[in-house]
Amino acid sequence: MGLFSKFAFFLGVRKKEVNVLVVGLNNSGKSTVVNHFKNEEERVTEIVPTVGFSVEKFQNQNLAFTAFDMSGHGRYRDLWEHYYKDCHGIIFVVDSSDRLRLVVVKEELDLLLQHPDICNRKIPVLFFANKMDCKDALSSVKIAAGLGLDKIMDKPWHIAASNALTGEGLQEGVEWLTQQIRDVVLNKS
Amino acid sequence: MSSFKRDKKEEEDGGGNPFQNIEKTTVLQEARVFNDTTVNPRKCTHILTKLLYLLNQGEQLGTKEATDAFFAMTKLFQSRDVILRRMVYLGIKELSSIADDVIIVTSSLTKDMTGKEDLYRAAAIRALCSITDATMLQTIERYMKQAIVDRNSAVSSAALVSSLHLTKLAPEVVKRWVNEAQEAVNSDNIMVQYHALGLLYHIRKTDRLAVTKLVAKLTRISLKSPYAVCMLIRIAAKLLDEEDTGADSPLADFIESCLRHKSEMVVYEAAHAIVNLRRTTSRELAPAISVLQLFCGSPKPTLRFAAVRTLNQVAISHPAAVTACNLDLENLITDSNRSIATLAITTLLKTGAESSVDRLMKQIATFVSEISDEFKVVVVQAIRALALKFPRKHSVLMNFLSAMLRDEGGLEYKASIADTIITIIEDNPEAKEAGLAHLCEFIEDCEHTSLAVRILHLLGKEGPRTKQPSRCIRFIYNRVILENPTVRAAAVSAMAQFGATCPDLLENIQVLLARCQMDSDDEVRDRATYYSSILGQQDKGLYNNYILETLQVSIPALERSLKDYALNPGDSPFDMKSVPIAVIPTREEAEDKHKADGMIISSGPPKPPTVSREESFAEKLGHLPGVADLGPLFKSSEVVELTESETEYFVRCIKHCFTNHVVLQFDCLNTLSDQLLEDVRVQLDPSEGYTVLREIACPKLPYNETGSAYVVLQFPENDLPNSVGTFGAVLKFIVKDCDPNTGLPDTDEGYDDEYMLEDLEITLGDQIQKINKVNWGAAWDEAVATCVEMEDTYSLSSMSTLEEAVKNIVQFLGLQPAERTDKVPEGKTTHTLLLAGMFRGGIDILVRAKLALADGVTMQLTVRSTDGDVAELITSTVG
Repeated sequence: MGLFSKFAFFLGVRKKEVNVLVVGLNNSGKSTVVNHFKNEEERVTEIVPTVGFSVEKFQNQNLAFTAFDMSGHGRYRDLWEHYYKDCHGIIFVVDSSDRLRLVVVKEELDLLLQHPDICNRKIPVLFFANKMDCKDALSSVKIAAGLGLDKIMDKPWHIAASNALTGEGLQEGVEWLTQQIRDVVLNKS
Repeated sequence: MSSFKRDKKEEEDGGGNPFQNIEKTTVLQEARVFNDTTVNPRKCTHILTKLLYLLNQGEQLGTKEATDAFFAMTKLFQSRDVILRRMVYLGIKELSSIADDVIIVTSSLTKDMTGKEDLYRAAAIRALCSITDATMLQTIERYMKQAIVDRNSAVSSAALVSSLHLTKLAPEVVKRWVNEAQEAVNSDNIMVQYHALGLLYHIRKTDRLAVTKLVAKLTRISLKSPYAVCMLIRIAAKLLDEEDTGADSPLADFIESCLRHKSEMVVYEAAHAIVNLRRTTSRELAPAISVLQLFCGSPKPTLRFAAVRTLNQVAISHPAAVTACNLDLENLITDSNRSIATLAITTLLKTGAESSVDRLMKQIATFVSEISDEFKVVVVQAIRALALKFPRKHSVLMNFLSAMLRDEGGLEYKASIADTIITIIEDNPEAKEAGLAHLCEFIEDCEHTSLAVRILHLLGKEGPRTKQPSRCIRFIYNRVILENPTVRAAAVSAMAQFGATCPDLLENIQVLLARCQMDSDDEVRDRATYYSSILGQQDKGLYNNYILETLQVSIPALERSLKDYALNPGDSPFDMKSVPIAVIPTREEAEDKHKADGMIISSGPPKPPTVSREESFAEKLGHLPGVADLGPLFKSSEVVELTESETEYFVRCIKHCFTNHVVLQFDCLNTLSDQLLEDVRVQLDPSEGYTVLREIACPKLPYNETGSAYVVLQFPENDLPNSVGTFGAVLKFIVKDCDPNTGLPDTDEGYDDEYMLEDLEITLGDQIQKINKVNWGAAWDEAVATCVEMEDTYSLSSMSTLEEAVKNIVQFLGLQPAERTDKVPEGKTTHTLLLAGMFRGGIDILVRAKLALADGVTMQLTVRSTDGDVAELITSTVG
């Protein structure tokens, strides 16, 4: 980073850009979550299943996020790993009303955490226990227990219950993520 | 600064190609920059350019490398730089076929294709369609439909053309977009209209009725786009060629009306279509020709070229019509564009009068060295046509050809000249001596082995019959001294022919052959020894059988038989008679071949030599139960149609003749979409003496598929006259009604049905294979001793000319005319036709037919055959 841009960054004139990866099973609400972070005028009204991935940009507290919104469909989960290497944070969206597939979520999470591009880095992971408005939704505590999050020692993590349709809980989660990325990633460089 | 200097130096060296020294590994290494958090559009665009450059130079990427590069590239979607994004689309298209998991970019591309940025949309559609597979197509179908009818013409065109490409992948899905395509045809944009018509036609092209409707509808409204009109003309012309409607068809009227269109392109296309229609009469031709004539005087070289090229093609089929343009063509001879000039001259040669030949030849000579080989071939072909038309001009043409032979040129060019000379020699006895002399001179300095071998073979055949055969021998023997082994071997064979035909030269030939026995090459020595020992026997019969006549068997069949024999050698020696005889191509086929190469349009790379028809049949029949025991296949007849082609079931028959059996192959086509036929078989009512050994049914015959049923019959034993007969035939099958769309039967139960076929004839010709006798006279004389002779006189009252009689006799008997006696010289009232062939079972047949023209044609037929019954059969069936 050049001297000028570093200077500009400290003054808060220029925003620092970071990449985050949005993953989770299909139909967990990833695209809806990302859609909510975008500016009012850029939002789309209709969310269709993502095929492959899509790139979205949004901002939070002087940090410019580039979100790689990955497809959660079984066929494309193998492709997540192509984007692990250069991400600064991970948003993991869980459908908290889908008790049946919680084991699948755990499996995918374990695979993610064990991946060589992830396991040795101190990357913040933000969990959204999405669809909290559903009647039979599990609480965020239960999901944390179910996924065994307490065993994650080497990475900062946080779980927030959310409702991506209304935006409830999303802001809280992303503020935590912003803070973490500032601390962990930027201070190191 | 130093790098700047180096760059500058490289630029001077490499002619200014900045990408000259890039390497694959370096570029792939650089492509890792794409993974950076912040994208530098300028840098990334440059790297992508290099990558694309490499791919387009033919550099191969491995799957792993390509996938890595591809995924790195997908990260560039975060940049909003327009140029970079468009480069990414190109990159996706290039890598889509090599890299894995390319569908990862589907959502990103759909977003761009439906987004607000118009610059992205068309390109995104093209990229999207290149990464989609058949299963993914469902998800993007909705977007494609919208894009086809989009108001932006670039988007619409891109979607239409991409759909056309997708039909290869998933024709069923694209078929559902027909309504959108229909709407796009009404677009105001010329390109959209053209592309929409293209897609619409492609979707419907298998359905004749739908295409007819489409054309009928579109010819009534006037399309705005000239491209679309051109396309429509082509479709209409194709339809016209397929169906046999009268000249007053609305399609013909439409094409005719296009001659008055305001766009030159359309006018040309219409003229071209009319000229190339098979059934165009001279009355319809006239307006088209006059349009082309107008174009000949156009200031635009492309128009002149198109017009003169088309005229050149018509000159073959309708020379009279082109004569009207002669004056305009004369003006084009001096055209600064050599291609136009060449075509103009060759067209004139085809249509011109005898008196203008000398002048035109002189004209060509002035620039023949300036044109490319391709056009030289066109000139040579024109000369060939000319030589056939004006035999008296042969000396001028021959001199010109030999001058061309001495010039530089590729094999194809030289071969076409040699071909032409050979044709002239064969056609015109007066030109023979001169032509052979030219060829002799040519092989003195011929660098193409294949051509030299061909000419040597011809010299061997024709040389001995010239006035001074010894002249040729010097040229041939020179080859033995100077050339490579292949040519030397051919030269030895040619010399032996002289020895066998000219007794007074025999002694000298023996001396030369003795020298050849010292050759360093095995083949040459073998041939020399073989010939010299045969010639040493002084036996005319031996000469005939082993030097002058070549093997008549089909070479691949011989190879196979010998291989079989070598694998399980029996006690008996190998029997040459068991090998099928080679089929002689008919004159029409040979002529078709010549016609096809009269055009400059290359018809693609030459096709690999296909297995002969007989070979492929033998292969197919060999798999049928019981057929393999019948022995080698002797002859397969032409296809006979047993129904009209538009009926419910279309049946054709091929008769395969074996030594004592005949296998009838019935090719059936089911044209009813709501029926599934099962157990399809043909029931025969054989004539006296025949026994049906076996019927092989076709188990299943779905809509629009061809299946084959077979019947194996035994010829009447010891009763040759009855082997010619007529059979009644009925097609029997079980019908199951089925759904026209899926082709699945509605019920499991079907009902029996039958369908009357036309009667089937087994003729004499089916049982006779043609044999080419080079030296018919010698064989005839020799046959006196061994053969039975039958003679009879007939009066063929239905024939009015000798040509007609000759044609009919050849066709009826299925024999090969020898010594070119199938050509009747003009103005004669008598003619002798010489024929040769072999009856099934290896019985030789020689036939001499003396024809005389009085009221009708009188024929005296003499048959010599090794088997008396066969001879009798022939004389008795002719009447």
